[in-house]
Amino acid sequence: MKVAFPYMGTVVVYKKLLELLGHEVVVPPRPSQKTIDLGVKYSPEFACFPFKVIIGSYIEACEMGVDTIVTSGGHGPCRAGFYGEIHKRILHKMGYDVDVIIFDAINRDKDRFIENVKKVKGKNSWLKLAKAIRFTYDLLKQIDVFDKEIHRIKPYEEVPGSAYRAWQEIQKEFDSAYDKKQLKKAVDRSKEIINSIRLKKVDEREKIRIGIVGEIYVVMEPSINMEIEKVLGELGCEVERSQYLSEWVDFNLMPSFLKKTHEEEVLKKGEKYIEIIIGGHAKQTVGFIVDFKDRGFDGVIHLMPFACLPELVSQSIIPKISKEHDIPVLTLSIDEQTGKANNLTRIEAFIDLIRNKKLGKFVV
Amino acid sequence: MKIGIPKALLYYYYGPFWKTFFEELEMEVVVSEDTNKKLINEGIKASVPEICVPIKIFIGHCIDLIKKDVDYIFVPRMISIYKGEVFCPKFMGLPDMLIHGVEGMEDKVLTCHIESKSDDISDYRNYIDIAEKLALPHDKLKKACRVASEKWYRFREYNKKGYHVLEAIDMVNNSVKIESTKRSDSDVKLGILGYVYNMYDSFVNMNVIDKLKSLNVDFITFDMIDESELRKYIDDMDKALFWTFSNKLLGAGYKFFRENEVDGIIHITAFGCGPDSFLGKLFEIESDDTKLPFMTIRVDEHTGENHLQTRIEAFVDMIRRKKAKVMQWGDKIEGSISLYGDSSCL
Ligand code: SF4
Repeated sequence: MKVAFPYMGTVVVYKKLLELLGHEVVVPPRPSQKTIDLGVKYSPEFACFPFKVIIGSYIEACEMGVDTIVTSGGHGPCRAGFYGEIHKRILHKMGYDVDVIIFDAINRDKDRFIENVKKVKGKNSWLKLAKAIRFTYDLLKQIDVFDKEIHRIKPYEEVPGSAYRAWQEIQKEFDSAYDKKQLKKAVDRSKEIINSIRLKKVDEREKIRIGIVGEIYVVMEPSINMEIEKVLGELGCEVERSQYLSEWVDFNLMPSFLKKTHEEEVLKKGEKYIEIIIGGHAKQTVGFIVDFKDRGFDGVIHLMPFACLPELVSQSIIPKISKEHDIPVLTLSIDEQTGKANNLTRIEAFIDLIRNKKLGKFVV
Repeated sequence: MKIGIPKALLYYYYGPFWKTFFEELEMEVVVSEDTNKKLINEGIKASVPEICVPIKIFIGHCIDLIKKDVDYIFVPRMISIYKGEVFCPKFMGLPDMLIHGVEGMEDKVLTCHIESKSDDISDYRNYIDIAEKLALPHDKLKKACRVASEKWYRFREYNKKGYHVLEAIDMVNNSVKIESTKRSDSDVKLGILGYVYNMYDSFVNMNVIDKLKSLNVDFITFDMIDESELRKYIDDMDKALFWTFSNKLLGAGYKFFRENEVDGIIHITAFGCGPDSFLGKLFEIESDDTKLPFMTIRVDEHTGENHLQTRIEAFVDMIRRKKAKVMQWGDKIEGSISLYGDSSCL
């Protein structure tokens, strides 16, 4: 089968897994204005923004001749878990003959889960499947380490742009690894690449650290969040996100006895403000704000898709958290009309404010 | 002690229960005013701009209650009333939003977790948090639940006999006896799809119900239908929606579309409602397939009531003409209706 998947974050990972299982994989084009326009045209007006971008890229993938789309499901309470169902109906209404395989949590419908796995597994043995999953998982873990590192050092690069060039190279390295040995080599090479980036010496006290929190899609997909990490890096800030794919996997797919993840701690920190999990990443959002503060970050940017249900709850509460924990937070709502220029101005002003506050603290 | 109950959101479904419950606990119950312009504006001011109209209205009602000097405002955390389903995230985070997001609410919110397997939310364990906070003995709580539950069942019984929510509330409050189903001599029957807080708040819907009455149109809503009946139509879906009330509407919608018992369908939806963006799409697909007249009314800012009147009249006219001539109907009507004329951006 000729298969595609939703475009989000480090796409080499999904590609890898499907390739290892012998499928012909079509990586949908990186979301562009065209993707967004298509998405908006074929989505309900009030669907959330990620829904629109994703259907846009499915349409592009269908145009490229895919016959199968693999995606994850969910069980609410936010809309994401229902995306697949509606996407499928829209694609079929548009006349595309495409199978949408939706992976829901195994305990929701065991038979269907197994059936889905079988579809994706194809003729491969179960052992091969297990190996492929294991390998992809290792790869994911490793690549995220570099993703984080790049955005930590980016503001200090001596040659502008060198960190991003390095990141492109690193992704290529990982893309060409298909077994353990090659993976090890990719990791070693990536380390070398990182080490070769020349860095300026910057006084600890002048460093600015910004955390990014919010709904997973807009946090993870640079093409629709104005490449916020890059923008912040260019403004001289270290950046860390609340979401990395490997952490999502750890938290959502690992059996609970292995689940001593950082995210658990973060959820605890959010509990005072949002008592229970209400869907999406609302509770993580508030928890991470507290967590970033605890870890010495200077500010937080909160990204939410326009009218995102759970994030509206967090947005309502953020002013209080910001005040109680004395950490500046900027909320940016993202949609098809997000004036890029307007948001950039707001980000710059926000960083100025933080810098002044910080310098003010150290000037005696 | 004075307890305030906001006349918003699920008041239109569980109001008879909650009111009786607190009265049984020997409290003075104050229900907020009917939704009005002033109250909405207060709600708008106190909430984040992008949030949906019903939540803004709810917040407005809470502010109204504070002014009425209540000791507490009852804001339950609605989690689930059907296995495997939940409420919209905003319902689940409602107390948080008030406590941490609206000035002056921190010590006023009285909350509890409501989790049940069916519409019946009378299990006393749902209200334990309240008992604890107010130091009430459990047997008293149990009794209050029992009495309230009886009242609520009676309300539902009237409701299911064809009396709409407001009529049914009125009937239980005045202990009206009824024997049979509501009768009507109307020639046109519509299915009205919408959440209770959009359908029965006469400010939000600009008196749709009265308008239908004045046009001598009979109508049926999801709350008049038995749960098992609603479920019949969504059970065979690969995956239904996650939100119980959206699923009730979906079931009702499918029933209306497929069973030929109504002449047309109106979907009332509020600006900014997330679940409805999906629900609406499913209805649209369905109306495409069944060719039953279908109209969406979306309530948001900037409107005239006249506009709504005109559209409903046109819709009903069309149906009457169609019935007279049995002409072919293909198109669906869509568009937005808004309200709150000059109020700022919602
Ligand atoms: S979390 Fe927000 S953006 Fe994501 S599906 Fe839910 S409502 Fe939509």
